[in-house]
Amino acid sequence: MEAPLLPWYIAGPLIGLFVPIFIIVSGKQLGISSSFRVFVAAIAGKKIDYFNFNYRNDLWQIYFVIGLILAAIVHFQIIGLATVISPEPYLEANPVLFLLGGILIGFGSRYANGCTAGHCIMGNAQFSLASLVATFGFFLGGLTVSQFIIPLIF
Amino acid sequence: MKALLFIVFGFLFASILIYSEAFHWQRIQEMFHFQSFHMFGLLLSAIATAALGLILIKRFRVKNLQGEVIVLKKKPMAFYSNAIGGLVFGAGWAITGACSAPLFILIGFNWKIGILGVGGALTGAFLYGLLKPKLKH
Repeated sequence: MEAPLLPWYIAGPLIGLFVPIFIIVSGKQLGISSSFRVFVAAIAGKKIDYFNFNYRNDLWQIYFVIGLILAAIVHFQIIGLATVISPEPYLEANPVLFLLGGILIGFGSRYANGCTAGHCIMGNAQFSLASLVATFGFFLGGLTVSQFIIPLIF
Repeated sequence: MKALLFIVFGFLFASILIYSEAFHWQRIQEMFHFQSFHMFGLLLSAIATAALGLILIKRFRVKNLQGEVIVLKKKPMAFYSNAIGGLVFGAGWAITGACSAPLFILIGFNWKIGILGVGGALTGAFLYGLLKPKLKH
């Protein structure tokens, strides 16, 4: 089944509504990349200061991530949803590069103290200066790599 | 019970990202080349709607379902780490065409790619924890 594209003027406000509803219902503020820290703390434990914290209070991030993965399994594997153009050819083209991209995401989001969810959406919605700086960083870093480095590879 | 609540929220969040193609490599390249308004419209309208919701929460001292008045936490300003970390994250976003949530979505889309991306991200977070004392913030 081919998925109809949800236009930005519906998807954007839905994400925007998600933020306050999530806070009211769960008492938590949206953020995804802090889950990386929780995962590593649960696996690698207490030897490194940054991972030596009581992650029991942050376990919700793991559950949230399980929901993300579950949604993708339901949509792509069970319903058999197909996007108009598949991202697979790009992603499979260079696994080493993709792994490197993942490393940059993990390192960068923890160094910046947030990612697209925590800074770009949640942080900017609070008019946080830190998030504005981070968002500029995301876009400057992204467009440099996308415009000048990726064309050298593909 | 609590776990189920967060799983449902994660499911809904991912569903929006899937149907709006925000998890899609091509959409992210389009965005970084300013070729399509889709991602900009999505992010800007998300920020505007969320900002309005948060203003109302503060204005009316809304309580969460746990019965506490909601106090929003703001991320602390740390120019150097926000900027440099941001640049590094942006580079990863462009390469994988996925930010943090879409990386997890990719596990369900194509588990080999997804595990590689999330494995990379966990490695990156581990490296950050390891190097944190030496990095400027």
